[in-house]
Amino acid sequence: MAQRAESKPSRRDFLKLAAGGAAVVGAPWVARNVQAKPAMITFARESSYVKNFDEHFLKVLKPAYEKLTGIKIEYQIQAAGGGAVPQLVSMVENKSGADLAWVQQEWLYRDALVDVSDIAEAVGKEQGGWYEEIKRLSVDNGKWKSVPNGNIGQLMVYRKDWFDEVGIKKFPDTWDEFLEAGIKLKAKGHPFGMSMGHGFADNYSWLYPLLWSYGVTVMDKDGKKVALDTGETAKAVDFVRKLYKEACIEDCVGWLDPHNNKAFLTSQISCTNNAYSIMVSAKRDLPDMGKVIDHALNPKGPNGQRYHALVPVTHGVFAYGPDVQAAKDFLKWLMDPKQYRPWIASGDMYFAPFLHAFDKVSEWDIEPRVKPFQKVLETGKLTSWPAPANRAHGAVINRWVVIDMFSKACTGAPTKTVIAEAVAQLKQIYG
Amino acid sequence: MSKVVEASRAPALAARAHPTGWARFREFVERESVFSWLMLTPPVLFLLAFLGYPFFYGVYLSFFRREVTGPATFAGLGNFVTLANDPIFWQSVGNTIKFTGAATLLKAVGGLGMALVMNQNFRLKAITRAVLLLPFIVPTVLSTVAWQWIFDPGLGLFNRLLVVSGLATTGVSWLGSPTMAMVSVIMVNTWRGLPFFGISILAGLQTIPVELHESATIDGAGSWGRFRHVTLPSLLPVIFIVTTFSIILTFFDFQLVYVLTGGGPANSTHLMATYAYSLSMGAGQMGLGSAVALSMVPVLGLLLVLLTFYVRKD
Repeated sequence: MAQRAESKPSRRDFLKLAAGGAAVVGAPWVARNVQAKPAMITFARESSYVKNFDEHFLKVLKPAYEKLTGIKIEYQIQAAGGGAVPQLVSMVENKSGADLAWVQQEWLYRDALVDVSDIAEAVGKEQGGWYEEIKRLSVDNGKWKSVPNGNIGQLMVYRKDWFDEVGIKKFPDTWDEFLEAGIKLKAKGHPFGMSMGHGFADNYSWLYPLLWSYGVTVMDKDGKKVALDTGETAKAVDFVRKLYKEACIEDCVGWLDPHNNKAFLTSQISCTNNAYSIMVSAKRDLPDMGKVIDHALNPKGPNGQRYHALVPVTHGVFAYGPDVQAAKDFLKWLMDPKQYRPWIASGDMYFAPFLHAFDKVSEWDIEPRVKPFQKVLETGKLTSWPAPANRAHGAVINRWVVIDMFSKACTGAPTKTVIAEAVAQLKQIYG
Repeated sequence: MSKVVEASRAPALAARAHPTGWARFREFVERESVFSWLMLTPPVLFLLAFLGYPFFYGVYLSFFRREVTGPATFAGLGNFVTLANDPIFWQSVGNTIKFTGAATLLKAVGGLGMALVMNQNFRLKAITRAVLLLPFIVPTVLSTVAWQWIFDPGLGLFNRLLVVSGLATTGVSWLGSPTMAMVSVIMVNTWRGLPFFGISILAGLQTIPVELHESATIDGAGSWGRFRHVTLPSLLPVIFIVTTFSIILTFFDFQLVYVLTGGGPANSTHLMATYAYSLSMGAGQMGLGSAVALSMVPVLGLLLVLLTFYVRKD
């Protein structure tokens, strides 16, 4: 938390202030301003999978800001994955812990975040404008409650050499072609590994886009009516069951987020849906495998569209902090292109900015296999889409309602039953 | 008694007759009724602050609709009614009973066996005893991560053994099918809890007088007879207490399932503790999550009553 610096006004300062003629009325104001600068700002972020990104912050940005303002920056790294949200919830409940943070699942505690519209609007204006979809997360009742930092793109990660071996030179364009490819590869001992367990990214990142590409959304646009109960949902469930039985490794139905990385890197699977961290690990530790990994966009569904799920990173300032303005000033400084662009570049675009100024920047050319992750922003949707990203949506995500609809079907439950159970839960959650 | 001695004792006698303030205070403090409360007060305050407050706050929350940062609105039994109609809640209750029952039974039987073996004389007995305690000592999160590797479908120890030994052509999906996932978490809980039973029962075994065994042998009892009529009855109090404690700990187990399966696949390993956590800390529904947690209390209460009666009977 921000701590106030000890006030050390010199005698000259004191005389100057005293000469202001506000010795009586203005005395409290003067005292406050003499010691206005906080000694420290705590910035909490999830442990990054990209080492350089954190290092750039610690070795470049942190010392630069400390030198510029004299304010010490405490970089608090939190647990990665699902563990970060409970930590944030705990911080908000106890009104302590950090001045600003990567506010994952911010719909849970928007009331605890200050209005940062001034920063977000200035950044958008200066850097080409924001992607529309991210506004549905960061803007609440017309006010920006967080400043988007970047999207962790999730795509199909596959072994190009094994796909070539079974005669598939181009990654499947539709889900049906994807299934066909999976059947061929499983027959060769290289099954797909599509996560369906209680994780927080690698399951949503393909199951939601698949559902959307069948023309189904979970809720209607206003988030008032359950939209899942359709014949198209049944077709999507049947498809996933078939994909699981005929093309996937059996374990994937229970996988948490790290499991598919591990299975891919140990050559147990030929395809999964993930961020590009698998390629980074392979290039570093398994160079031969690193050469034959590629990324592809999610396949198109029966409605002819392809979709991607956004995994957004946004920064918010907590309203209970002792010096909200100091935290906002720091966030504003971080989002200045002079700081923001090299910071994003240091992470090799792992965090893709939601700003159009970055659509065609040269940083995307560092690695051709990273470039498709920029495309995620064009077709990317929040998991709440088209409904608002609110608390009820958070309950759907954290209770794995949609994910379990699919995983129950894969483990033997009838299609009608799993849809009925999911619909009942949605009705209970949305009231 | 000489006059000199009497004179030297005079001040002491006078002090006893008219004690000073400090002496009176000491006397007061050293009364058993006062001293015992003085000793009890710090732990009672500690328990009130770190167990009592969260517990009563949890009870309070369970009767309110309260979301993170949001105001609390009184819901009466609304949260419990919601849970009564929630199939995942009932699934987690069923899972918790299955998990606790199976794991406790396995730990009790296995622990008894472990204790009987450890009670024999053999070389490196002390080291073996120390090594067997390891599962209990290693932090659960750490050992569970190791178990994730052991259960790995392709490279895991179990599946490699199955394939290499020719017992199976392909490995088992330990965490992929609902049944096997439950078997796996029970197995890990048993592995972790076995030393607690083993060491406790071993301590009980060592208190059984040798004479009892000797006289049973003279009366013609064989090994089984001695175990059935001497060892087991003598161990029953220890087994009862250890089992009760273990049921309580297993019933509230959280870390193991959270790390290994997250309650999946398809909620098949969701326990009441993990469900309460995902509702309150994940979904931000503090009231509903607290209601799940509070639903565990009657079971705990019943076990505590049983334990208290048993201990007082003894």
